[in-house]
Amino acid sequence: MMEGSISNRIRILRFQNGEMSQAELGQRIGVTRQTIAAIEAGKYSPSLEAAFRIAQVFHLPLVEVFQWDAKATD
Amino acid sequence: MPYREKTAWLSLIAMAVAFGPYFTIVALRSVPGALPNLRQLGLFAVAAIAQVLILGAGHLYLHRGSPQDAGTPPDERDRAIMRRSISSAYYVLIVGMILVGCVMPFNSSGWSIINAALVMIVAAEVVHYGVVVLSYRRQT
Repeated sequence: MMEGSISNRIRILRFQNGEMSQAELGQRIGVTRQTIAAIEAGKYSPSLEAAFRIAQVFHLPLVEVFQWDAKATD
Repeated sequence: MPYREKTAWLSLIAMAVAFGPYFTIVALRSVPGALPNLRQLGLFAVAAIAQVLILGAGHLYLHRGSPQDAGTPPDERDRAIMRRSISSAYYVLIVGMILVGCVMPFNSSGWSIINAALVMIVAAEVVHYGVVVLSYRRQT
């Protein structure tokens, strides 16, 4: 199996979009503030649907918000 | 702290306060196996009522503290944590019930079986709420 992790630019994008709060973003996509905090910190990987909703809030394609960082394997 | 983590802590505390003394008394005293044993039944009733009262008062306190959070439906992360915790608790409960229902009747009877079943139910609940708390802690 290919190893890797998901990273994201949500924190930066929130600040670039009028310093949007985690609570406001959460409200717009239907999750709690704590879930946004967990996603930002990379401790929770959102569902594909939630990821698309987040990208839609920032008017960006998904890959501009979430990135897959593949780990080098031998 | 997420509202659902607070309610999980509340459930763990209620169980510890209500059933901790109950199982301590049961373990220290030899309980006559014959049913109905009203004294033992009374002790169980006290533990059950104490748990209900602690949970009732605790939920009321938490609800007053953050009414908006209390009314928020669970999101996808809450549901994922719920699924994980319930499936972990299921294994504890199923193993416990096999032991209590299929093994214990051959060498025990009466309150021994009832108390063993209660131990397994409480253990499953501890695992359930414990996994909830740990999951929120790890993802915060």
